[in-house]
Amino acid sequence: MVKRMMNNVFDVIVIGSGVIGSSIAYHLSESKNHEILLIDKDFPLSGTSGSTQAWVWVHSKVPSWYGELSMFSAELYPFLEKKIGDVEYKRTGGIAPFFNKAEREKAWRLVEQQAEVGIDIEVLTRDEVLEKEPSLSSHVAGATFSKLDGNVNPFRLVELYVKAAKRNGVQCSFYNQVIDIEKSGDIFRLETYKGVFRAKKVILAGGPWSKDLGSMLGVEMPVKQVRGQILVTEPLQPFLKYTIGGIRQADNGEVLIGYSKEEVGYDRRSTLDVIQQTAKMATDFVPALAKANVVRTFSGIRVMPKDGFPIIGEIPNMDGAYVAVMHSGITLSPLVGTLMTELLTDGETSIDLTRYSLARFEGV
Amino acid sequence: METDLLIIGGGPAGLHAALTADRAGARVVVADESFSLGGQLRQQTQWLSNLPGQYGYGKKRGTWVNEQLINQVGASNVQVLKKHTMIGSYLNGNIGVSDGDKTFEIQSRKNIIAPGAQEEAKVFPGWTLPGVMTAGAAQILINREKVLPGKRAVMVGSNDFSLEVARQLNSCGITVEAIVEEKNQIICSDGELVKTLENVPVYTNSTIEIVTGAGEVEHVVIQTPDGLKEVNVDLVCIANGFSPILEPFEIMNCHFVYQKELGGWLAAYNIHLQTTNPSCYIAGNAAGITDFGSILLTGEIAALSALEAMGFISSAEGTEQKSRCWRELANLESEKVLQARTEMLADYHQKHELDLPDYFMKIKGGKMYG
Amino acid sequence: MDKSTIVCRCEEINVDEIETAMKNGAETFDDIKRLTRCGMGPCQSKTCLNPVREIIAEYTGKPLADIRISRMRMPLKLVRMSALTNGSEGGNVASVFGESVEDGETNDE
Ligand SMILES: Cc1cc2nc3c(=O)[nH]c(=O)nc-3n(C[C@H](O)[C@H](O)[C@H](O)COP(=O)(O)OP(=O)(O)OC[C@H]3O[C@@H](n4cnc5c(N)ncnc54)[C@H](O)[C@@H]3O)c2cc1C
Ligand SMILES: Cc1cc2nc3c(=O)[nH]c(=O)nc-3n(C[C@H](O)[C@H](O)[C@H](O)COP(=O)(O)OP(=O)(O)OC[C@H]3O[C@@H](n4cnc5c(N)ncnc54)[C@H](O)[C@@H]3O)c2cc1C
Ligand code: FES
Repeated sequence: MVKRMMNNVFDVIVIGSGVIGSSIAYHLSESKNHEILLIDKDFPLSGTSGSTQAWVWVHSKVPSWYGELSMFSAELYPFLEKKIGDVEYKRTGGIAPFFNKAEREKAWRLVEQQAEVGIDIEVLTRDEVLEKEPSLSSHVAGATFSKLDGNVNPFRLVELYVKAAKRNGVQCSFYNQVIDIEKSGDIFRLETYKGVFRAKKVILAGGPWSKDLGSMLGVEMPVKQVRGQILVTEPLQPFLKYTIGGIRQADNGEVLIGYSKEEVGYDRRSTLDVIQQTAKMATDFVPALAKANVVRTFSGIRVMPKDGFPIIGEIPNMDGAYVAVMHSGITLSPLVGTLMTELLTDGETSIDLTRYSLARFEGV
Repeated sequence: METDLLIIGGGPAGLHAALTADRAGARVVVADESFSLGGQLRQQTQWLSNLPGQYGYGKKRGTWVNEQLINQVGASNVQVLKKHTMIGSYLNGNIGVSDGDKTFEIQSRKNIIAPGAQEEAKVFPGWTLPGVMTAGAAQILINREKVLPGKRAVMVGSNDFSLEVARQLNSCGITVEAIVEEKNQIICSDGELVKTLENVPVYTNSTIEIVTGAGEVEHVVIQTPDGLKEVNVDLVCIANGFSPILEPFEIMNCHFVYQKELGGWLAAYNIHLQTTNPSCYIAGNAAGITDFGSILLTGEIAALSALEAMGFISSAEGTEQKSRCWRELANLESEKVLQARTEMLADYHQKHELDLPDYFMKIKGGKMYG
Repeated sequence: MDKSTIVCRCEEINVDEIETAMKNGAETFDDIKRLTRCGMGPCQSKTCLNPVREIIAEYTGKPLADIRISRMRMPLKLVRMSALTNGSEGGNVASVFGESVEDGETNDE
């Protein structure tokens, strides 16, 4: 075993150590049956997983089959914490407020749809919303609410995935970019900054760089890059109990606000245009935030599959190459890690992944 | 709001640039976050030497120069926005400023960013106790706020700046109990200044071991070559050098370079004081920690380049004026800093495949380029 | 220096915590920041950037010139939310609820 690893030969190489890649590496390592390399061009959290809102959000995800996937994943969090340690997961319950009475009807439609898969949603009246979360604007007309939603500390989450993976024998190679991938017979040959690595299986978990990784294998990844900008306030007394669509208060009292979407390629700068609009959204939702100081802003690049849904599974016509790329990776990481492990170990999964296959896109 | 030239920072570099641009007929807005203009010059009660020709060479008090600049700006068409902080930039590249009540965009054709430098902290056990502060902060308290930060002080560092502040502390009744210097001798090159402090014990080859006290500074333990030494003071001043302010340049998407003698990392620029963002020029201490004359001259060069780019002066005139400024700067600036600056400029021009103009190559008889 | 010496005063992060992050493989200021919160305080690393860079240089044996600076972000100075909204048009930032039901495409976060 040691000899093979010294020759840089692995069973599985996971490319990308964001929340998705590190979850896969960790779950795959639990059986201690694989020699695994986790490789990242920078360091865990340097990609999108380090610049995210980190809600574990379920109730408004539609269609319901996608909501169901998110629910299954959210339900794994308490077990995950028992295994890898405290990732500050909190099932706060989630509120998605609306400001127009006409939207009540849509809210009921959502309730019906999600009920089919067992996602429990309440439609709250104005008074009920304000009773739950008194800081919300009195202009609120109502909200949908679900106990399933919550949030997590993304920094702890990824750090503990990686730590647990290392404890299980996963090798890590950071600050090491994969430059090219070549398949020769049954073996993938990865050319990297720090030398050549070989493996029987590779998993592409490159987040916003998935297109680049795909093209190394001659595969066109049908994904877009969508920038999101987030505002962070100074630490405030705890005053928000729930995860509110667009706003949450972290353990240390900072409030994170943001829900912007711009297609600007891989450009992680912030702009005052969006910052000011986001501030407006914050005070429209929670008027008391007007008095809070903004300490910083950050932005991250969401990787967004063209139809919006995760791409998980084996790459068609490319035995041994897998891909896991999605938006809402924080919510989905425990489940994706579990399913990928099943797929690599048994060749089949407890949840049918056909719907999520790369094969659904034309021309792939 | 709309203007030809927006200047961020109303310190000496920004004000001198503003006056230069105003004289050529450009519309100029100066935004400064503070309540009054002058930047770090406001508390420099000491004599400044190395002034450029316009200020009559010779020695002048910093506060006097400051008054001159402010009066001239007051008499000009320059529009001053005090208490306006640059906080970011918009998608279109324009700078956004905030006055604490609102935030708005300033549409400008060119920008000069002259935010100055910041003092570096020094880390040792106890450095976060109240009563430990930078030498610059102590200077602001005594000269600007007219508040005494303590009664008995230790000064850490012995360069020109720290000894000047030590002298000023002494002269307003604060006893300086010790000067602590890491190196094996006093760094300050000003013999007269050193003499005014001859009664103060100087510990060379020494560092701060720990600062202690109940909620504020009470004791300082100094690690000296003869072992540990304790002094009882309520103020510890740290002079650990300056570094150019970087944040506004990152916001404007400028590239950075490292030059130790200029203060570490700084925004890269060419001999027109233009950064890698073509609409942003740089001036003052932000362009490298230097002496006062060079601070003014970099402001002037930046303004001339912006004027030239906007068509307010011809390129022949721009070249002539800038060539004068660079010659003057080369005469005033300390050898070490000038060397570092020319090295950085040469690298920049090489990297961006820009020729260095003849006049520049000939400065100091071409000596700078071997 | 005593390993319990505070380096980042805003977040009270000491030398030991920074070195631990480096033992776990972090090599840059930003990577240390995400593991420790060092640099995420009210001063946004204006104070601790260079002290931390010096610790990195010492630990890795690299010259200071090779230790990168951190990514700096707006707002350059602390600013009140109300100062950001005044003067803003508002508008393009979507709401979670609005999106989820309207177009069937995944909204999220
Ligand atoms: C503003 C914002 C808010 C969000 N809010 C939420 C939320 O509330 N809830 C939620 O569930 N999701 C949210 N998301 C989405 C979520 O953050 C992402 O889905 C998730 O972080 C993606 O993880 P990842 O591991 O796929 O990608 P990343 O974290 O980007 O990881 C990819 C890694 O691959 C590495 N890599 C890439 N190319 C190479 C190469 N050639 N060689 C080696 N390594 C390489 C990169 O260095 C990187 O570390 C949000 C996203 C944004 C931007
Ligand atoms: C003994 C002594 C002590 C000195 N102490 C110092 C010192 O502590 N610091 C120092 O830099 N120089 C110091 N100097 C040198 C001299 O005073 C300065 O070199 C000179 O003031 C620098 O000019 P400047 O215009 O580059 O920057 P500054 O004088 O620092 O002016 C910069 C101006 O920009 C403004 N500003 C910064 N950021 C923003 C923003 N985002 N938005 C709006 N406005 C902004 C500031 O309010 C300030 O008014 C000292 C010199 C001596 C002899
Ligand atoms: S000292 Fe580190 S963030 Fe302020």
